[in-house]
Amino acid sequence: MITSILSFFDNIGRPILFALHLMRLTLKLSFSRNETFQQIYKITINSLPTTVMAGFFVGAIMTIQFTLQMRDFGALSYLGGLATSGTFREVGPLLIGFMLCGKVGAFTASELGTMKITEQFDAIRCLGADPLKEIVIPRFIGIIVSSFFLLVGGLVASVAGGMLLGILYAGVSADEYLRHIPRFLLGISILSGFIKSLTFAILLATICTFKGYHVNGGAKEVGQAVVSTAVASMVAIVLFDWLTSFSLEVVIQIFQGFT
Amino acid sequence: MIHFLNQTRLALPQTLRRKKIIFEQIDFIAVQSAPIILISVAFAAVVTVLESSFHMKLVIQSDSMVPGFSSLLILRELGAIVTALLLTSRVGAGMASEVAGQKVSEQIDALRLLGINPFEFIVAPRLVASVISTIVLVAIANVVSLYMSMIVSSQILSIHPELFWQMMNRFVEFKDYGFSLIKAAAFGALIPIISCYFGFQSESGAEGVGRTTTKSVVVTSILIIVFDFVLSYIFSYFY
Repeated sequence: MITSILSFFDNIGRPILFALHLMRLTLKLSFSRNETFQQIYKITINSLPTTVMAGFFVGAIMTIQFTLQMRDFGALSYLGGLATSGTFREVGPLLIGFMLCGKVGAFTASELGTMKITEQFDAIRCLGADPLKEIVIPRFIGIIVSSFFLLVGGLVASVAGGMLLGILYAGVSADEYLRHIPRFLLGISILSGFIKSLTFAILLATICTFKGYHVNGGAKEVGQAVVSTAVASMVAIVLFDWLTSFSLEVVIQIFQGFT
Repeated sequence: MIHFLNQTRLALPQTLRRKKIIFEQIDFIAVQSAPIILISVAFAAVVTVLESSFHMKLVIQSDSMVPGFSSLLILRELGAIVTALLLTSRVGAGMASEVAGQKVSEQIDALRLLGINPFEFIVAPRLVASVISTIVLVAIANVVSLYMSMIVSSQILSIHPELFWQMMNRFVEFKDYGFSLIKAAAFGALIPIISCYFGFQSESGAEGVGRTTTKSVVVTSILIIVFDFVLSYIFSYFY
């Protein structure tokens, strides 16, 4: 019983220490910059089609749902504003985070795990370089930076998807769909979406590099690491989704108290 | 892919005899993932309530409609899709790597050699088990998330639980629940079919298995979102 409780905290604490170590190295700017830019480029290009497609359909789904709910109130002119705001604040970052978990997280974990079990990290260490600085940090930063580009791509696609369905399904013209977006899409909503996406990206990057870097054994363990990366990062994303929503609400209330 | 689907369909009647595998798979899919999925769905419900309260304040300056809208959103979309995406990463990735491992270590060829149809032994039991357990999981997850949103709206938005159920009954109909179970069945069928399809095509080596797992998770998640869109579109004509 006590060991299981201890190992639970161990499983939470070790990734945090690992992430702090990575961030400290990052702040010292002692990592391979060339590799970092290559990783950013590679991750963005590889995942962009998936993310854009997911974003497009998410926007379409949101439009259908909001249409069904608002048709009874005759408030279809608000459709564009509400669907877009809902996607930007909440559903977009969440679903794009899920997509990245499956695509980037699993891929990075299996790549690092394969490198670990084929002793490529030891080889790098023998050559006098630090595998953390050469291999792990570029991927860590790459995931975080490219998640920003991917989020922008996904959100733009979601507006396009929502508008298409608004025209085809709800019968709202493109003009009317777009007109209410500036009224409902507050700056704070966009900001909170990006803060959420940043949080998810840091979580995902930490978990997948940690799991991949600490694989021991053979091919089977790599497979297990991939599966446990996907599960752990999805659960972490859902938990932190709640946590960021909640703390942003509190922060906003504090600021409104001042003014 | 069509050949694969056809083989699976042909193997379905015989596979019902293999109850042991089906029950093992149900244990793996439903029972072992239940805690993670229920916790995640509960938190997703909390976020839904907070977000719809934000939007309601923006549009009509009051929280009174939150119960209706958030429970509609939970039943029609969130319960099914969050459960399915979590199952994809847990069960789908597990299945893909397992089947790919069997393929790489030539166990599937060994099954064929013994005169056992691998579709009957591997794919079809997983399909049956996954459909059953996804339906059950979504049915439970919907109820859990509705209760969770009731608790949150009574604690944070100070909406009385009695009022919550009244508002919910005005918006939600029983067919919403039924539609979300139909969605669950579709997603539950999607997960094992895609994972086993990619697993059967896996190339040899540790790298091949890893790539197979990644590919199957990505394709399954995209297809779940696309299917969700299609089903939502079809169901929207029944309201």
